[in-house]
Amino acid sequence: MIFWSLKTLFSEPMRLLVSALAVAVSFILVIFFSAVFEGESEQMVVYQKQMEADVWVMQKGVSNMHMSSSMLWDWKAERIAQIPGVEAVAAILYFNGAVRIGGRDWFSYVIGVSPEYSRAGPWAMAQGKTLPGPGEAVIPEVISKLTGVRIGDRITLIDRPLRVTGLTRETFSMASAVVFVSRDDLGDLLKASDQFSYIMVYAKPGIDGQMLAGRIKEEIDKVNALTSETFINSDQQLGIQMGAEIVRMMTMIGAILATLIVAFTAYSLITRKRQELAVAKALGFGNGQIYLAALCQSLLITVLGLLFALLISFTLLAWLPSVVPQINLSVRLYQFLAISVLCLPVAVLASLGAARTVVRVDPMAVFRS
Amino acid sequence: MTPNTILQAENLSKHFGSGISEVRAVSDVTLDIERGELVLIMGPSGSGKTTLLSMLGALLTPTSGEIVIDGTGISSMKAAALAALRARKIGFVFQAFNLLEALTVEENILFPARLAAGGQQGAKGRVEELLEKLGLASRRDALPNTLSGGEKQRVAIARALINQPLIILADEPTGNLDSHKGQEVMMILHDIARDDGCAVLMVTHDPRVEEIADRVLWLEDGALRDRKSEQHSWVIDPVCGMRVDEWTALFTTEYREKKVVFCSSRCLHRFEEQPERYLGKVDQDPAA
Repeated sequence: MIFWSLKTLFSEPMRLLVSALAVAVSFILVIFFSAVFEGESEQMVVYQKQMEADVWVMQKGVSNMHMSSSMLWDWKAERIAQIPGVEAVAAILYFNGAVRIGGRDWFSYVIGVSPEYSRAGPWAMAQGKTLPGPGEAVIPEVISKLTGVRIGDRITLIDRPLRVTGLTRETFSMASAVVFVSRDDLGDLLKASDQFSYIMVYAKPGIDGQMLAGRIKEEIDKVNALTSETFINSDQQLGIQMGAEIVRMMTMIGAILATLIVAFTAYSLITRKRQELAVAKALGFGNGQIYLAALCQSLLITVLGLLFALLISFTLLAWLPSVVPQINLSVRLYQFLAISVLCLPVAVLASLGAARTVVRVDPMAVFRS
Repeated sequence: MTPNTILQAENLSKHFGSGISEVRAVSDVTLDIERGELVLIMGPSGSGKTTLLSMLGALLTPTSGEIVIDGTGISSMKAAALAALRARKIGFVFQAFNLLEALTVEENILFPARLAAGGQQGAKGRVEELLEKLGLASRRDALPNTLSGGEKQRVAIARALINQPLIILADEPTGNLDSHKGQEVMMILHDIARDDGCAVLMVTHDPRVEEIADRVLWLEDGALRDRKSEQHSWVIDPVCGMRVDEWTALFTTEYREKKVVFCSSRCLHRFEEQPERYLGKVDQDPAA
């Protein structure tokens, strides 16, 4: 019966192709939303990752950069630099909010950089000056492309106009962009000229980050110190918490859509082949064998749909960023594995309708001409 | 019952519905079919032929009575056991051929073989033999939609024979074929009974088949009566000129103290409207 079911499926290649493509569309939706979410989650911590610090120091009680604010007296950066095992520090003033660029507000991580901690500035320039001076700003190249704002044009941070002096790469995501301004400007706007928000600590070779973080917490009052890994994970977890429900819902919608499409295809195929199923029953095949054939059909449509989905997704994922630069896409192996595992319940659920038809097929139908 | 009896039915009845709407499709039928016999079940439409065939083929449970196939009573068997019995002991040939569209001739023939002991692999030799025997060797890779009606029915016969059944149940196997192809199919079934020792039980309307049958069972209103194939009284329908068996004809009338027989109610009505027009054709010799 399985041979029959496969041959029957392949005897109508157009129908099979359309069904598999329809299933693929629902899987692509799942993969795409997952990839966008993963890409955004990664982009959310791009600054922390690029800084390559061993330890991040922040205000006590704070453990994130995303959706957080932290204030530390600026002298603490010098104190930390003197702690044994610390090779260097870099400090930034940080503000999480909207920047008006090209007539539109862009939610941004605004990094206030001072010349003495220049390593806290942009790491990949597309054009212009790396470090912004007073009255200057360095914005993502993607925003420049989307808004037409170029070097020399003006943007507004809170109520202060700034002139764009540089364009950066790898600093844009749909959820947030990284905008660099001078620490003086940001300190002035936040009334925090004598403060930093985060202090990045670079350990001497052979010094363990965890140990160094503990030492900093012991020696400096009212601070929290986290290894870079913990700090980044903490921000990523926050992002996942914020988006996980949406992604889960999209996955469920995609799976339901795929199930319905496969179910409809399998059911219509089985219904159209009722007479042949009646023949099979008359010849001695049991309900179980015939249901297995229906399940095989569902499984094949689902797996073909998945293969199409993977093929189309890989092509889209490679091509989309060049066409839509504001989208950050990232796909990991576990996402594909999750979708592949989803195939089995989709196929089994989809074949239940067909199973009902199989049971109801009357072998006496063979006598109807 | 003799040692050669393959199929036996005793007081077999099938009723549909109940109370005032009850229909007795088959009523108290008793029959024995022996190895190598070609038996016809004939009768008017709605006489219960297909219902009887379905019960004998273990596709329909009788209301009462017993069916014994190859010494085993099947009335109390469960669905799975009946399916296994059909797969191994019964071959079916249908009027509508019922081939599986996506499978080639060879695959169609092999289709039930996986239910037999040796599986499809074990049936490879048998399929070659059947392809040769039924003249299908050159069409082995053809799909059913490219076959003629006669070829389709030969494939169906080969499929029925692949598991070497004891009985072939054929429902109007020539119904969708022209007379030449129908004759060819009949001869194949005849040879199967004669050469393979397989019993062939066939439901048909085709009176020409009677000539090659060992027995003709006449079913009317669900009840059976045995007839010898040579016991016919052929007369000519004076309206359409068709040969009709006077004994079994359903449409007759008396005209000038003579019994006139018709093939259908339509011919009877025509005759009744203008009997003089057909007078010259009454008493026509069917052999003429």
